[in-house]
Amino acid sequence: MEFSENTHVIEKKPLLRASGLRKSYGGGNPPAVDDLSLQVEPGEVYGLLGPNGAGKTTSILIMSTLLRPCYGTLSICGTDAFKYPGKVRKMIGLVPQEIALYPTLTGRENLYYFGRLNGLKGASLEARVDTCIGLVGLSENADRRVEYYSGGMKRRLNLAVGVVHQPKLLFLDEPTVGIDAQSRHMIIENLLQLREEGVSMVYTTHYMEEAQQLCNNIAIIDKGKKIAEGAAGQLLAAHPGCRNLEELFLHFTGRQLRD
Amino acid sequence: MNPFLATFFKDLLILWRDRAGMLVLFLMPMVLVLVVSLVQNNILAVTGQAGLRVLFIDQDQGFVAKAIRQRLQASGELELISELEGKPLTAERARKEVAAGHFQFALLLPAKTSVRLREKSSLLAQDISRTSGESKSNDIDHEPVQVFFDPGVQGVFRTAVVSSVRYSLLGIELKEMEQQFSKELHAQFGIENSEKNERNISRETQVFLKVSEQITGDSEQSRRPNAVQQNVPAWALFGMFFIVVPLSGALLRERHDSTIRRLLILPVPYWTLLAGKTLAYVAICLVQFGLMLLVGKFILPLMGTPAFQIGEHPGAVFLLAFCAALAATGYGMLLGTWARSYEQASMLGAVSVVIAAALGGVMVPVYVMPQVMQKLSIFSPLAWGLDGFIKLFVRSGDLASIQTNLCLFIGFFLLTISLSVVLFSRQGRNGG
Repeated sequence: MEFSENTHVIEKKPLLRASGLRKSYGGGNPPAVDDLSLQVEPGEVYGLLGPNGAGKTTSILIMSTLLRPCYGTLSICGTDAFKYPGKVRKMIGLVPQEIALYPTLTGRENLYYFGRLNGLKGASLEARVDTCIGLVGLSENADRRVEYYSGGMKRRLNLAVGVVHQPKLLFLDEPTVGIDAQSRHMIIENLLQLREEGVSMVYTTHYMEEAQQLCNNIAIIDKGKKIAEGAAGQLLAAHPGCRNLEELFLHFTGRQLRD
Repeated sequence: MNPFLATFFKDLLILWRDRAGMLVLFLMPMVLVLVVSLVQNNILAVTGQAGLRVLFIDQDQGFVAKAIRQRLQASGELELISELEGKPLTAERARKEVAAGHFQFALLLPAKTSVRLREKSSLLAQDISRTSGESKSNDIDHEPVQVFFDPGVQGVFRTAVVSSVRYSLLGIELKEMEQQFSKELHAQFGIENSEKNERNISRETQVFLKVSEQITGDSEQSRRPNAVQQNVPAWALFGMFFIVVPLSGALLRERHDSTIRRLLILPVPYWTLLAGKTLAYVAICLVQFGLMLLVGKFILPLMGTPAFQIGEHPGAVFLLAFCAALAATGYGMLLGTWARSYEQASMLGAVSVVIAAALGGVMVPVYVMPQVMQKLSIFSPLAWGLDGFIKLFVRSGDLASIQTNLCLFIGFFLLTISLSVVLFSRQGRNGG
């Protein structure tokens, strides 16, 4: 709750509100997402943690309007995202798990292309491209083709393309997977900076320390269901037997291997 | 720059930087049209336009040998060779040469052919002039003129050479019979065999019922069909349809690396991006087509073939090429949406285009195919294209004459795009 200047009570609206999301791919398989509800406040980083096949990517696809669920509602910035996806898409960005870039274009050309598709043009496009290149530390390599980048450079550019149009809400699906410590550190720094700038994020990862460092709120999901939710500190406090987030994660999801 | 143009230029840039793809799209059809046109031009030359070299073994040494040499060489169809390496040809040597494939044909004129023909003609004239008595001409038998073939020579080609030899022998035989009959008339009835009569008879033994070859259609505008007029549009279409390989590959790459997800959450209708991509690939197809026409017009004549002629309706040619490019792009879209791997798309794409090309008459004209294959060829988009281009380039057709071809291409494009959208939506529902 917040108070306005003339002391009227106004409700702080969540940036994203998902309720009762359920998605089944059929073929007798259990639902990939089962009755998932969550809320992301403005400027909040919401972490989705879960083992392989827990439903994290499907949840991201549904919340980024790419996939229609069988049931449930989704509102982003107060707009029904399933009814008006076009309206919502202007406000969101996506950093997929894969390197979703054109390898034979340079880093700069990729940024220009996605910037144009997001409606940027002229000097503002140029300025945003330069800012993003600087943000992810690719100034010296911006005019090299992406196919010649290292894995870390590609990951950083992948992030830059997702934020070139300055989205209010950013979906990140394991954005630091398979890269060295330096690139990972830089990406986390970039994300912290974005958080400082007020960008909200829904973030999936397998790295617990990342989640602890970055996320205001965490949900642990398994078999499509949310099994725990809260700030990392709160969750640990509620389970004194767990020394860190990793132990908490194993406590909830078990130690058996997931393929 | 709006999203449509941004996508158009982005895809052109990606294609331009794909050197291997460019080689497939531009160099391959050019090499094919050069090689095939030159090869087929040579076949046409040896089957109709220039003399075919035939070994000639003259064991007769008489007037028949002299006459057949004159007649065959005068027709320009066959060039007779009687010596090899400075030595007169023997039957045995000629057989070996033909069997080895050094020559395709040998013509053996047996000894005493002239003597026997003269005797038989004389006896026949006597038989005719006598009102009664037994026919003596049937008693004379002679060894036949022999033609040896290379076993690799095809039927139509063999028939053409044998007919040519038969036609010449028939002329010689007729002339000899006339002379003998003329002598017999003089001997029996005292009719003078003047030089004038002989000339008249001789003239009448020339072809009386003549055959004239004419190309149907507007005689002023019709171009004689040749290897270039057939091959340039045929291989240009083949190259254009090969666009399915890089196009389906590009779509698959976008799907596999999730670029498609990034594109789909943009505040731009996806059809705008698809339209930009389609136009980029159509533009590449049209550049390909234009380059192929230039090869036919300027490069092929340097190698001795006739120059390619675009005809009187370049607008109709462009429209047909544009519609063919749309159809090729639509097929590429369908393949790229349906296939699950790049290997699957490239293999199926290449094989299906080669099959469609074979059915469509790119390699062998449809009219020489068996009936079943001719019926199947109507399902090949390359057949629709080639038929349309032949109408424009060879049969003096205009825009009205290719309406059906245009409609088929547009229908094919709409069908393939619609199927792609259905498949794409289905994959989208499953998170793909």
